Amino acid sequence: MKNSFVELHARERALSLLDDGTSRELVGPLDNMISPHLEPQGIVPESDDGIVLMKGKISGKNVLIISIEGKFQGGGIGEVSGAKIVAALEKALEDNRNGQTIYPIIMLDTGGVRLQEANYGLLSISEIQNAVIALKKFVPVIGIVPGRVGSFGGMSITASILSYLISTNKARIGLNGPEVIEQEAGVREFDSSDKNLIWNTLGTNQRLATGLVDEVVEDSIDDIKKSVINEINTKKDAHRTEHVDFYLSLLDQLDLTKKLDIPTYDKLYKSVKETKHEVPAATEGTKEGTKSRGRLWFEKLTGIKNATSTVSTVLHAEKDGKEYIAIVPDADNAFPRVRNGEVGLQEGYAVASVVNKIVADDKDKTTKRPIIIVDDVPSQAYGYQEELIGIHAALGSSAAAYAKARQAGHPVISFIPGDAVSGGFLAHGLQSNRLIALDDDSITIQAMSKASAARITQRTIAELEEATKHVPAMAYDIDNYEKLGALYKLVKGIGSWEATDENVAKINEIIDEAIAGLNGDTTLHFRYETPIAVASGRKATLQVRKLVAEQW
Amino acid sequence: MEKLHFNFDTKDAISKPVHVGVVASGDLEVIFRPTDKQTEVNIVTGSDGFKEVWSNVLKRFFDRYPIQANIEINDFGSTPGVVNLRLTQALEELHDEK
Repeated sequence: MKNSFVELHARERALSLLDDGTSRELVGPLDNMISPHLEPQGIVPESDDGIVLMKGKISGKNVLIISIEGKFQGGGIGEVSGAKIVAALEKALEDNRNGQTIYPIIMLDTGGVRLQEANYGLLSISEIQNAVIALKKFVPVIGIVPGRVGSFGGMSITASILSYLISTNKARIGLNGPEVIEQEAGVREFDSSDKNLIWNTLGTNQRLATGLVDEVVEDSIDDIKKSVINEINTKKDAHRTEHVDFYLSLLDQLDLTKKLDIPTYDKLYKSVKETKHEVPAATEGTKEGTKSRGRLWFEKLTGIKNATSTVSTVLHAEKDGKEYIAIVPDADNAFPRVRNGEVGLQEGYAVASVVNKIVADDKDKTTKRPIIIVDDVPSQAYGYQEELIGIHAALGSSAAAYAKARQAGHPVISFIPGDAVSGGFLAHGLQSNRLIALDDDSITIQAMSKASAARITQRTIAELEEATKHVPAMAYDIDNYEKLGALYKLVKGIGSWEATDENVAKINEIIDEAIAGLNGDTTLHFRYETPIAVASGRKATLQVRKLVAEQW
Repeated sequence: MEKLHFNFDTKDAISKPVHVGVVASGDLEVIFRPTDKQTEVNIVTGSDGFKEVWSNVLKRFFDRYPIQANIEINDFGSTPGVVNLRLTQALEELHDEK
């Protein structure tokens, strides 16, 4: 174990890869940039908030290493930690744009969103994904998943977006941890005490066999460094979020009458016949679809009654030059875990397919079609087969598609008349330039249900609710969300179910205003530049960005 | 979580700030900063009710190494032995010329 990489802490890991004497840490422990949100909840903070940013050289090439400390709060991403990663990636992007090549390397040892700063975590993770996609036009963005924590939650969606993933056999990768699936879907869906099942399903050897990591190397500093140098030199890219037709074909060929097991899936994965998939625009149907706020507003905004689609949960249609996309529930869906409108495998890939086609169609047009996301997603799908197949890559595919569309110049606007939760929101909503929400008590906007969040952070639901009173980012309602400053507009006086002609016209007007106000903005910066964000909501974020820029 | 504060009248100036450790389970991070004021130790600990133990561990450390510093500790349930180890490690970093 003398040269074990996994046994090292985040800072030592970064140093171990860099050429001697070339390292320089940015916003390190002595800069005192700690999370302002942990102490009010009675949690001990860390001086670097669990993120080590280090510039230096590997084999003579300029690199930026972002190393997540898995031992501090499970490597969870909060406001400060998230802003450190985003700010550093954006500086690296700027350098690459200016012809100064710098290779970003991200070491993932993370449970995803830090639940104690839930909504900050989600915002930051979407911003990380956005920066990664922009960077990939210039350089490969290499990911290392050494273990022990592995890569979970929103950061596994990020992992799927990275150019190339190197791991050891001491890591696991998945969207939802087994405990959360057990909490949400029951022990028969996924038994979180069955360690063999967990490792066989989420462990990196299985992930390697089914295209979800690219390399499993020995746990030694030398082996990892050798791989990193090789992947940088050969500009490796797995294009993991571009296999949309492959996965939609795979899902067509999946036998949903039986519970999926590993040998059956491995066989299916190897024998998929890939065919071109296209999700045509929604058409008027004869039968009412499963009721939801998302469906109601989609139908009213597009004027399509009883909208139906070949993928029953993914509706899209053009109206007045704008493309509306909604993920809706379907009580009879063949995939049981998406019947309440959750974002599952098919939803992620189908949305990616729709958005990719819009971008391709408008490729040579000077004015790009606006994309309006109608948001009512209660969460991502919690299920065993979802994890085995790799739901994080499905969600990564739609997040990547939206980010690419925006970066190509498509205005991407989210309209939120319903829930906007967790991985569902990352896949379908958080890549938009502007967020518009209805001021309605029924809307939940969060990273995890109360029951699961309480279980994972080892608190009672009462304790969790107490914490939400002090930390707006922990709250579940839209009024507290507004305090973060991320919203373009919180629309008062229109309820989630009140899609009258007059209200629809008003929402359309607000969407048009938002589009007109973009003035070519293709970034996500708006979120921390609003008056609320500057005054209170993203103060720590802005401070981090300033420090990173100064020290870069 | 509990916040603790201690002062010591130690006078050996330190030359540079140092940081060691991680706020992992059973572990802690320690930051020493040079100061010309009285030596101050500010602790944030996840384990409540150990003020006297902290006082003893720190007293023993400063008796042996009377450094004048502003010290910050973020602790996630480490034992006195681990605390002493990290403090000594930070001291070693001070003398490390690298």
